Amino acid sequence: MNAFVGRNRLILLAYAGMVVLLLVTALFSPGFLSASNLRSTVVLAAFVGIVALGQTFVIIGGGIDLSIPWVLNSAAIVMALLCGSQDAPLMWVMPLVLVGGAMVGFVNGAGVAWFGVPPIIMTLATNVILQGLILVLTGGSPAPSVPGVIKFLAVGRVGGIPVIALIWIVLTLIATLLLSKAAFGRHLYALGTSATVAEFSGVPTARTTVLTYVFSGLTAALAGMLLTGYSGQAYLGMGDAYLFTSVAAVAIGGASILGGSGHYLGTVAGALVLTILTGLLPALNLSNGALLVVYGAVILITVSIGSEVFAGLGGRLRGKGRA
Amino acid sequence: MTVSMAERRMETAQHEARSDWRGKMLDRAPFLVACLMLTAIVTTYGSYQTGVFTLDELNLDTSASMTLMLAATGQTIVLLRGGIDLSIGGMISLGTVIAATQFGETPGSVAFWSLAILAIGLGVGALNGMMISLLRLQPFLVTLATWSILNGIAMIILPTDGGSVPGWWVEFGYMQLLGIASPVWMLLLLLVFWTWFRATQLGVAIKATGSNEKSAFLSGVSISRINVATYGLSGLFASGAALFLTTQIGAGSPTIGKDYILPSVAAAVIGGVSLFGGRGHLAGTLIGAFILTLIGNLVFVLKVSSYWQPVASGVILLLSVLASSVAERAAKARAS
Repeated sequence: MNAFVGRNRLILLAYAGMVVLLLVTALFSPGFLSASNLRSTVVLAAFVGIVALGQTFVIIGGGIDLSIPWVLNSAAIVMALLCGSQDAPLMWVMPLVLVGGAMVGFVNGAGVAWFGVPPIIMTLATNVILQGLILVLTGGSPAPSVPGVIKFLAVGRVGGIPVIALIWIVLTLIATLLLSKAAFGRHLYALGTSATVAEFSGVPTARTTVLTYVFSGLTAALAGMLLTGYSGQAYLGMGDAYLFTSVAAVAIGGASILGGSGHYLGTVAGALVLTILTGLLPALNLSNGALLVVYGAVILITVSIGSEVFAGLGGRLRGKGRA
Repeated sequence: MTVSMAERRMETAQHEARSDWRGKMLDRAPFLVACLMLTAIVTTYGSYQTGVFTLDELNLDTSASMTLMLAATGQTIVLLRGGIDLSIGGMISLGTVIAATQFGETPGSVAFWSLAILAIGLGVGALNGMMISLLRLQPFLVTLATWSILNGIAMIILPTDGGSVPGWWVEFGYMQLLGIASPVWMLLLLLVFWTWFRATQLGVAIKATGSNEKSAFLSGVSISRINVATYGLSGLFASGAALFLTTQIGAGSPTIGKDYILPSVAAAVIGGVSLFGGRGHLAGTLIGAFILTLIGNLVFVLKVSSYWQPVASGVILLLSVLASSVAERAAKARAS
């Protein structure tokens, strides 16, 4: 039990923080704990959570994916343009868009793993290239209608539970199995801890790296399609906010940006914390600017708690850290 | 016997000289690729448009690139240290917002607030460096957090684009000396600054820390002090970029800064600055900034949709980073 707490200290802290935040918010705005409000919070958090799934894998592997905004945006636009308001084409459009997202991820991963391009630059380049291509494709105008099925998936309910929450739960289960039970998870943590050691221990580092970016492309594309159902249209720039929130959710969830640690279950708490904060601030009569300040402070505080300095003096005693 | 020994020695010397020359070329490959790309862009631009090879055009293009150049100068220093600074986006927004709300009509007030903005940039940057050292945090996350905080403060001060600066302040970019506009003089000043800075103790220490932190530390470099100086300078240049930007937009914008975060990294990388630290030169970064700005002109004269601009800059970024990665591998191969 103690070992469990020790290993998952940061993840448990993220959940504890979330509960405290929830109670504080309920104190300031009594309506916050109502079923309808909790439901809408979970729906918003689900989008962040789904996007951050791929980002979690990439970050555990020691990389970062900056291409999420326009992979998400491209998926939304392409899906809305191909389907319009019709449901039938989704049969082939959804798989097509998911494969497209995976392919962008593959290009990112290939650049990082096989050509030695730094992740920041590789994913930044694919992001601006996709941005330009989508602008050229649409001429800058939004795609105004989306299929009913997508709307159902994004805002519909089954037995009082939002459908997207169910999707999120299924994805969380899959991610947890991959990270904790599958060979992929073991390879990923080894890769993120030390690529050289992993390589010499027979871990297929290149394949694992590429896979993380493929996952990230997949989840960004999925989130993009679902998000159109929430906003009722696919517009340009709808993915921009998700770069910051996906990285922030992972960081708040306790993963080290250096790779090798963290878990998607932490990211889930991170996504919930970020979303609850957006709900808390109107209750306190604070502006969007204040929200950004709070976001920054929360990131600083959580990563400080996770740093070696606070994790006991271990790093200093082992003499492995920087001066 | 002796003859063949001497011959062999000479052959080895020649071989070494040749591989040394090749090594130097490979080291500079990213920079040379950037120069080639700039030449190609300017030549294409010049063959579609008259008057490209004039002083007026240089004045205009430098003026259009200067905000990015200033931001990218700070970013270059941080990249040489082996870090990254995302907070410059927040600092640029905050700087324009403070200027647009606080500048009075008198030169005294403008001078006071300009200095205040520069001091804030320096202070916030130093704070970044301190947090990175003392709390042992990753630069990416620390500066992501301070970007958010600075951006938030900017939005609290001025929720939407607006405010104003004195009319004479906006004239700054058009001021000329000997037919050369002020941004071009600033460009020259940046190069002079760099020539001086890279040879100073601090400049050498930053680069040494970027190439190998452990050996720099063992040679007596204080890493915490280097971090404070590095990120402090980056913040200072970001606030300088903000001030220059207000002379162009004549107002404040709480969101404009984010347009410079990743382009500043891109400009440096296109110019051959390594993201792994320790390798690069400001001249490369400035060429990178020119390339990113001129792609816009090129797209315009080629009469294709301006939406192709991001595609072109992405492709150029990929090409240059591939050149860097080839150079990096060659350097590693020689070192081992």
